[in-house]
Amino acid sequence: MSANLVSVFFVAGGIVAVGAFAAGWRRDAAAAVAAVPLMFAGAGIAFAGVARFAAAGGSHLVGQELAVLLAITALALVALGLGIAGREATR
Amino acid sequence: MDSLHAIGFYVSSAVLLIGGLGVALLPGRPLRGAALALSGVGLAGIYVSLSAAFAAAVALICYLACAFMVAGPQYRSVETAVGPLWRQLGALGAAALLAVLAYSAFRGDFVHASYSVGPFAARAVASLMLAHDVLATEAVAVLTVVAIAGATAAWRVRDRAR
Repeated sequence: MSANLVSVFFVAGGIVAVGAFAAGWRRDAAAAVAAVPLMFAGAGIAFAGVARFAAAGGSHLVGQELAVLLAITALALVALGLGIAGREATR
Repeated sequence: MDSLHAIGFYVSSAVLLIGGLGVALLPGRPLRGAALALSGVGLAGIYVSLSAAFAAAVALICYLACAFMVAGPQYRSVETAVGPLWRQLGALGAAALLAVLAYSAFRGDFVHASYSVGPFAARAVASLMLAHDVLATEAVAVLTVVAIAGATAAWRVRDRAR
């Protein structure tokens, strides 16, 4: 059994699509915010996979760095989105 | 990629996809939070199988924090006035997005890319983030501080309005 870069891209695309589906399907706006980390996870997987597979002999760390920054950004966006949604809920 | 890494990759992918579908479909905020935490575990597993262990640790912490916020008591639901037709169109758009991404991944010439196992390399990632790409790191830090300060301000306004 083996996995290659195409497998990584399939998984990344699937996660981005699941995140888009969750954002569009949820009637609750605060629940749709929870889909943002899923789409960011797909992007992070693609970055980490490209850095690991396609940079043979070079630096493998750029994709890992971008994955770290995407995870932190997803956390910040969820906090902001839930804060704004909670404020709108009181109106 | 050897068999052990490949098995870890596929199992973690399945966990991540199940968690993502749970975020999309499960009712109630505790279940959605648990599904998001499961997604974080799967994502961390994928990063570990791609030899990105530092990213795995950071992603696990961040996604567990997201799950805590989604499942937490401060959560308030906001019902939007979007009709079922638009929701179904959104689902169809997500399916079309999946088809386009899968087609581009399948048609891309990536089959001969080689895999090489790397070390944990937390020090190397830190030097890359704090020395080489410091501007991007600072931009994300500013974004995070502004977002968390904005969320705190919004929550305080909401508490005063009660």
